[in-house]
Amino acid sequence: MAAKIKRHRGRFSQTIIYLGKHFRMFLFENDWKVLPMSAVIAGLVYFAVGGNLFKTMEGTLMGTFALACVCIWNGFFNSIQVICRERAIIKREHRSGLHMSAYVASHMIYQAILCILQVAIMIGVCHLMEIQLPQRSLITKWPIIDFGLTLFLITYCADMCALLISAFATTPTAAMTIMPFLLIVQLLFSGAFFSLPEKAMPFTYLTATKWGLTAMCAQGDYNSLPMVSIWNSAIKMKNVEIEGEKPFQEALVYIEKNNMRDDLLMRCAQQNQEPKYDFDKDIVLGAWSWLILWTVIYIILATILLEFIDRDKR
Amino acid sequence: MFNSILDLLLFFLISLGYWKIFNKCGIKSFWAFIPFAREYHISLCADRELEGRVYTIHSAIAYVILSLNHIIKNEMAVALLTIVLLAVYISRYVYQIRIYLGLIKVFERKKNFIWLLVIFEVPALLYLGFSKKCMPNKKFIDYRKLDGAMVSGVETEDTDSGLSVNINERTTFEFFKKIMLLKDIHMTIPRGRMVLLLGGSGAGKTTFVNAVTGYEKADATVKLDGNDIYEEYSKMIYDVGFVPQQDLMRDNDTVLLTLSDAASLRLPSSVGFIEINERINHVLKEFGLESVKNSLVEKLSGGQRKRLSIAMEYISDPSLFILDEPDSGLDGVVARSIFEKLRAIADEGKIVIVISHTPDRVADLFDDLIVLAKDKTRAGRLAWYGPLKEAYEFFGADSLEDVLLTINQKEEGGQGRADEFVEEYAKRIIEKVG
Repeated sequence: MAAKIKRHRGRFSQTIIYLGKHFRMFLFENDWKVLPMSAVIAGLVYFAVGGNLFKTMEGTLMGTFALACVCIWNGFFNSIQVICRERAIIKREHRSGLHMSAYVASHMIYQAILCILQVAIMIGVCHLMEIQLPQRSLITKWPIIDFGLTLFLITYCADMCALLISAFATTPTAAMTIMPFLLIVQLLFSGAFFSLPEKAMPFTYLTATKWGLTAMCAQGDYNSLPMVSIWNSAIKMKNVEIEGEKPFQEALVYIEKNNMRDDLLMRCAQQNQEPKYDFDKDIVLGAWSWLILWTVIYIILATILLEFIDRDKR
Repeated sequence: MFNSILDLLLFFLISLGYWKIFNKCGIKSFWAFIPFAREYHISLCADRELEGRVYTIHSAIAYVILSLNHIIKNEMAVALLTIVLLAVYISRYVYQIRIYLGLIKVFERKKNFIWLLVIFEVPALLYLGFSKKCMPNKKFIDYRKLDGAMVSGVETEDTDSGLSVNINERTTFEFFKKIMLLKDIHMTIPRGRMVLLLGGSGAGKTTFVNAVTGYEKADATVKLDGNDIYEEYSKMIYDVGFVPQQDLMRDNDTVLLTLSDAASLRLPSSVGFIEINERINHVLKEFGLESVKNSLVEKLSGGQRKRLSIAMEYISDPSLFILDEPDSGLDGVVARSIFEKLRAIADEGKIVIVISHTPDRVADLFDDLIVLAKDKTRAGRLAWYGPLKEAYEFFGADSLEDVLLTINQKEEGGQGRADEFVEEYAKRIIEKVG
């Protein structure tokens, strides 16, 4: 006798059911705390390194690196425990007919909304603290949307990376042990802020920080900004005496008197321009593509890992 | 060159110590001279097999990295591999100490002997191996190679109304070894029966349940009302309700939403919204959860949580209902009320199979008993399936606890008569069939 054919709810319906669960967890299980946390972290970072963001080359490099780090931090904390903390429950539900692809899809949607909110909060904090943001757009008509999209893609990429760890780790403790290693990799291998040997450069392709930083520097027109580090060093040396004279002070006074400072700073910047940060649509789209590629890879891997949840030891 | 000779000498001396230790422990001594295998077998001597598996894998990785370091010329790659090797060595060393601690216990040495094994590994191992004063208190037995109890091989016939189980064997591979988990289990459970599944620790109760539900497939045919559970697993999962031992629910969801989500997941999509709500209300009422329907799961008592966990499966109205220790952690009164509920479910014409470790307090509610026991080969075997009352007579016991004591292995505090009853039951079945 053949079993009676009864259709059960498919992946789409299950995604909606689980989406509802995630939002209830957001309200009742303190998942909402990631939102105020992102505001506090953004505020601290802007306070520390936001002054020269998109104003000078050095300030932009440091600021965009810090912003990428905030995004990575937010993304990681959003989802590092979401799967592993309820692994046994998912295993039971999988036994009752849950499709893992639907479960992961529900997380993708929920986390995307969380990331959008965090990016909105970050930009809001930025405005409150009067931090300069890119003034010209490359992809859409609105520079703030371009910039927000970059922040979103970095956060979401990190979020999905943490989701993968959460799917891989069988306990929250294991997930929280793996996370610092990945954070260090993301920070160290951004490929811009820390000087890396040539052999280590291929590793930078793995990080969201590299692509996020590249997109933000390009959007902020890094190569059109002045470079101030030499000027600042010269000011520090203004009182240095050589044979009873102060040549640095004399030179600085001369430059200031003749309004040559800005011109010199720009000339200095021209010698240090980076073609990879050109104000170019293709560069931004390229960086976004890498971020999306990694995000997709993380999602696929997380789904595959969860499909094997039944093999967990009892 | 000198280092290589030294390494070889060290390997040989350690192997020499292992060789004699293996001899004493009843393990074939040639393993002592085979890299990777000797690491695993020393853990068998130490009665630390699980640690031995990790130790062996780490040793294998270390050997591979060492070999690669000799082949690779790139300095950076060698440096990176050496870092990995360092990490592997640290981890390997920890596992080695764990295994040596086990070895000390088996050879009844003082705990301080570990310092000798750690600092002077070679002389300490040679001493353990060659000294006549050092003898192990237990020898390694490969249970797989022993002769198990007699096999009946009598397959039960399919039924259009009930569950027919024909498990020939359920095996698994662990660390390159085939392990027999279940063997020769055949039975037919008619609808409307409430069956107790009894067995000592490691007798294969959960494996049996998983094999019956199709969750972990065995070399078997399992049919529910004539439908093959294995062949039609994706359709049949909704007709089989499994309630795990732990209450696996989200604490910060309400009772109503937990049930509502379970209903949405388990009921066919043809069931409409109104019908789902009716079913939820019916189940809430039947399981006495109406008054707490808006409470968070974390606020429920142990009994209420258990009832909710059962209700989550019951909501889809399954024909086969399996529960893993639904009474664990519950007092007698609450446990009884849950079992009475299960009895009522069975009386509706469903099959209810329950695993319990404290069944005597509710024994009167069961129709039949399944007894699984570990035979000499450590495989789970059927020692009884039939009416509960006849089981007491068969085992010569007054209570279900006594049944368990009779079949449990001696090292577990039992009488170690599992093989005897497995054979007796097999003979009985063969006789019955003629």
